[in-house]
Amino acid sequence: MNNIATQRIKREFKEVIKSEELAKCSIKVDLIGDSYTELKGEIAGPPDTPYEGGTFFLEIKVPETYPFNPPKVRFMTKIWHPNISSVTGAICLDILKDQWAAAMTLRTVLLSLQALMAAAEPDDPQDAVVAKQYKEYPEIFAKTASHWTNVYAGGPNKNSEFDTKIQRLIDMGIERDQARGALSTYNWDLERATEQLFS
Amino acid sequence: MATTSNESDSSRKNTDNRENDNKDEQNNMFECNICLDYAKDAVVSVCGHLFCWPCLHQWLETRSSRQVCPVCKAVISKDKVIPIYGRGNTKQEDPRNKVPPRPAGQRTEPDANTGFPGFNFGDGGFHLSFGIGAFPFGFLTSFNFSDRHGVPVGGQLPQDDHYLSKLFLWIAVIFIIWLLLA
Ligand SMILES: [Zn+2]
Ligand SMILES: [Zn+2]
Repeated sequence: MNNIATQRIKREFKEVIKSEELAKCSIKVDLIGDSYTELKGEIAGPPDTPYEGGTFFLEIKVPETYPFNPPKVRFMTKIWHPNISSVTGAICLDILKDQWAAAMTLRTVLLSLQALMAAAEPDDPQDAVVAKQYKEYPEIFAKTASHWTNVYAGGPNKNSEFDTKIQRLIDMGIERDQARGALSTYNWDLERATEQLFS
Repeated sequence: MATTSNESDSSRKNTDNRENDNKDEQNNMFECNICLDYAKDAVVSVCGHLFCWPCLHQWLETRSSRQVCPVCKAVISKDKVIPIYGRGNTKQEDPRNKVPPRPAGQRTEPDANTGFPGFNFGDGGFHLSFGIGAFPFGFLTSFNFSDRHGVPVGGQLPQDDHYLSKLFLWIAVIFIIWLLLA
């Protein structure tokens, strides 16, 4: 890795550690190994959203051409959000692509992702299924996102109705995450999810 | 004696460090917005944002199709940045830090430059065979070449070049006459 990328990450690392967001436990960055090319990000689910109370981990890969090109960021924690793939964690956010600017930092990236969690952009989706639900059934979307936050990110809201439906599919021999995915996709319609899974 | 001077050196370094730390706290407004370090060969964009010239240059190269300020995304260009000359700012600078790939004057040198005068003649021959397609241009290139290297290279080479230039000149004249007649 060239010098400027390493130097920058070192400085940014200090910046995040000193930042007030860290003090509020809202964002955090950890090194993986000591190469400064791979880091682990952490975002607290923003308040008054279905993600509140959850902790979301991110994989951050710093390219050799950083900061002239953006870092590669992906959600490691599963999340139900129109702009984030519910399967791979890939993120659709302009500043991680063509709207990147060299003065942006890991801190601003994490804060932008937090803002994206609070204000989805369903017209520019990464996950078409989630985006459709977000637009057509906002209440089901909120419940589903909250349920995923509870299961994968340690959020507080348990949903026993959803858990029961998932258990029904598990009893039929379906794997748990797959069952949750199918039910989420079909707006928690057990019959349609079953049909889809066994077709 | 060496020991003494080392000691005074290191004690001076310590005070320097302390001063630098203080400066860091007070003056991070003079940090480059790209490398986040103290701005070297500083330039400021028309929108007022500070960068090292090498950093900004690399950013503009990376995003040649859409040149915007890395901070505020205002439209910027190479020609409209303003260099900042502080008093005595070059005094303590490590010259190795001063290798900004300034855009002007980038030019690939011919291989012949690396020595071996024997190959130079071969190189001239190369020009000859290569130049036939667009002859007047080939002629100009070889002329420039001898102009630029006339002083430092010395020895037998300029004569060869001179001879070649004359040859080119004559061939070019013949070529032009042929063109006029045809
Ligand atoms: Zn810089
Ligand atoms: Zn600007």
